[in-house]
Amino acid sequence: MKNQVTGNGSHVTGIFCAAKAVAVVALAIWTCAVSFAQQQPLVLKGGKLLTVSHGTIDNGVLVMQGGKIIALGDASSARIPKDAKVIDVTGMTVYPGLIDSETALGLTEISAEKMTNDRIELSDEIMPHMHVYDAFHAESELIPVTRLNGITNAIVAPDNEDTLPGQDSFVQLAGASAADMLLIRDIAMPLNFTGAQRRNESWDKQKFPGTRMGMAAQLRQAFMDAQDYQQKAVEYEKKKADAERDKKPLPATPKRDLKLEALLPYLQGKKPVILAAEGPSDLETAVRLAQEFNLKIVLNHVSHSRPMLDYIASLKVPVIVGPIYETPKESERFDVVYSLPAELQKRGVKIAFASFDAHNARNLPYQAGFAVGFGLPADEALKAITLNAAEIWGVADQLGSLDPGKTANVVVANGDPLDVKTDVKHVFIAGQEIPLVSRQTRLRDEYSTK
Amino acid sequence: MRRNAIMLRALPMFLLWFTHAASGQQPPDATHNEVVIKNAVVMTVTHGNVKNGSVYIKDGKIAAVGESVNASASATVIDAGGKYLTPGIVDSHSHLALDDDVNEATSPVTPQMMMIDAFDYQDKAIYRALAGGVTTSLLLHGSANMIGGQAVVIKHKYGATRDAMLFPGAPRSIKFASGENPKRVYGSRNELPSTRMGNFAVQRDALVQAQDYMRSWDDYNAKVKRGDKDATAPKRDLKLEALADVLRGKLMVQIHCYRADEFLNEIAMAKEFGYHIRAFHHALEAYKVPEKLAAENIGIATFADWWGYKQEAWDAIPWNAVMSMRKGVRVAIKSDSDDFARRLNQEAAKTMHYGGASEEEALKMITINAAWIVGVDDKVGSIEVGKDADLVLWDGYPLSSSAVPSKVWIDGDVYFDRSLPGYGMPHYTEGQ
Repeated sequence: MKNQVTGNGSHVTGIFCAAKAVAVVALAIWTCAVSFAQQQPLVLKGGKLLTVSHGTIDNGVLVMQGGKIIALGDASSARIPKDAKVIDVTGMTVYPGLIDSETALGLTEISAEKMTNDRIELSDEIMPHMHVYDAFHAESELIPVTRLNGITNAIVAPDNEDTLPGQDSFVQLAGASAADMLLIRDIAMPLNFTGAQRRNESWDKQKFPGTRMGMAAQLRQAFMDAQDYQQKAVEYEKKKADAERDKKPLPATPKRDLKLEALLPYLQGKKPVILAAEGPSDLETAVRLAQEFNLKIVLNHVSHSRPMLDYIASLKVPVIVGPIYETPKESERFDVVYSLPAELQKRGVKIAFASFDAHNARNLPYQAGFAVGFGLPADEALKAITLNAAEIWGVADQLGSLDPGKTANVVVANGDPLDVKTDVKHVFIAGQEIPLVSRQTRLRDEYSTK
Repeated sequence: MRRNAIMLRALPMFLLWFTHAASGQQPPDATHNEVVIKNAVVMTVTHGNVKNGSVYIKDGKIAAVGESVNASASATVIDAGGKYLTPGIVDSHSHLALDDDVNEATSPVTPQMMMIDAFDYQDKAIYRALAGGVTTSLLLHGSANMIGGQAVVIKHKYGATRDAMLFPGAPRSIKFASGENPKRVYGSRNELPSTRMGNFAVQRDALVQAQDYMRSWDDYNAKVKRGDKDATAPKRDLKLEALADVLRGKLMVQIHCYRADEFLNEIAMAKEFGYHIRAFHHALEAYKVPEKLAAENIGIATFADWWGYKQEAWDAIPWNAVMSMRKGVRVAIKSDSDDFARRLNQEAAKTMHYGGASEEEALKMITINAAWIVGVDDKVGSIEVGKDADLVLWDGYPLSSSAVPSKVWIDGDVYFDRSLPGYGMPHYTEGQ
């Protein structure tokens, strides 16, 4: 997993690059550029380093090499390697690449055009064997747009209209190919219990599960089936061992079931289930269900669970908050959802923000900034889109802060990372500077000269 | 029967007054309300910022603005504590408080629809936008129809009566639409229009009928004027009457339009029939033909960065607003959403990021420029003497991610005060 996260792609050979260059020149240049581990040290000098893990260094130096951060410190004391390429970032802010804890990046291009969307299988509610990595479109025009605002990593999740819509992947938003960008496949599994998964659109279209009772029963059955499946596998192994020992004919191998097989790592608590609920009753029902099967959970949304803040804190699990733009209920004050991140953080809950978007995943930092307006400390808001997210997704040894040894996903901007006016000036992913170009900048440039 | 209907309408009004009185609150009475807001950074929008400035509110209007103001001794003084004061935000494209009655999608030509007939003045979306600093909104018909209905302009006086929320003297606007939405709605039913050809044919056909209708009435009126006693009035037709008002320039035309080629088609159509287009809404490709829009004095009400939600939004770029503005187009940033309406200040601030709009340019996009599109820029949209006292006091720099309104005045009265418990509304309690 560690090697995957660095994303140096050293397995891609130069010959492979050259072959591609013949086919598609531009793409090949890109491929080569990001595929080779960056050897010459790259130094960002004079910036204000927001390390996230150990405070701010006002006049700092950050050294990257081989795709990693190798050193950082105060400009007065830090040693700059002799052969280094130095970029003067005086007056700029330097911070870790931002992590969006839920997006549909790579699964959609134009929302209303069905053929450009691979977001959800609606044929059944229990679809844990759907893997977003099978659909992830590395060349999506949305990815460069997202990078331009300093987002370097994201969870890609299926849409939420199934209770178990499939499994998430953790991606790096640059790389030679999908294989390079998909750092961790099947990192987690969403379990959605918000009511939106009911199949009760109208009386004539009603099908099971038409109610939350149905949703819960169906989920229970799925996890019980997976338990049986696991049990049968264990029994088979035992029978097989006995047969081998006794030199008897081997038992027939049990029939594989991809759906149930997909649930096993979650039943065994090896990977987190991302439990989405909005209101108090959904939250309690979903948590109860997860506890019945000893699932390891991360809460998602909880936008309308304001009365449950202490209960949420008592669960001692992280929460992916947002979108905090969720409309409050008619009876609620205007700011009950806006202030949720601050209220959870105050209670010691580890929070991370997600855009729950694709086209405007780029606005992730502004959502965190907005939460600051409603009481979330600014450093905690930045943490919620960097280190907290890295910890929740189990990649904090590689990402989420400016620390030596971590992957060099580094952003340089001309101000507060959370402010809407701030312009990102440099983005480094695994130590490689990413050209700040997208389909949108190309259109801008084309029509600016007309 | 008719009497009963009137009684039924009057009864809730009476109850409203009664509960208001019973809750111990005074209904807003701006005429007696004299207020001085002092020690603020007054962002006038049209005349720069006044640091350490004051605004004197009298009779619901702005009576004075400056470093110091001459106010009567009885005026209530509010110390802004050095915070920012802006004009109330004007949302030039909204569908809030219409209870989903946004599209009469049963015919592609429905100019006789009146949004005021759908206006639900108790919708909390009005309050939530108010809490984000919005004081005026243009409530438009949806974009299912080539020719939609007639808009209503409201002030966000949540807790007041319906009639008190209507913007007095606001000009009439009508919504036109083009492109994918009419195509999708009628095309999915195998009806006309299902193509852009069909779209424009439907629009042209309706306008031709309106010309005939207008002519028949003009003829009739001329006969009456001549004293022709045998002249018979043509049959009144609400639909064509509304369109005739478009041709007579009595309705401002607000067109939902995305693509550059469609701007040009709409402009040609307007010239053919002799009406003027006030603004293109969404207008995500305005940056491709800004000179054409500027030359016709057509404004745009656009998104800051929304894109990719459908094919005609694929070429949207967040630099659209500033690129168009630099070529002389009057640009407004609008919500088109109950969600965005709550943070239009952030949306405007995005233009400072994408393209480098100045603070004042960004602010104009949600105030005076938006007010121009709505046709109320002589009354709101800037902090100037004589204008309505619609003001927002912010707890931080308004063009940022984290600024939140702490107080909002409309016509000189505080309608939102974040420091208050409950909803933060001095003129509203639940169950009212």
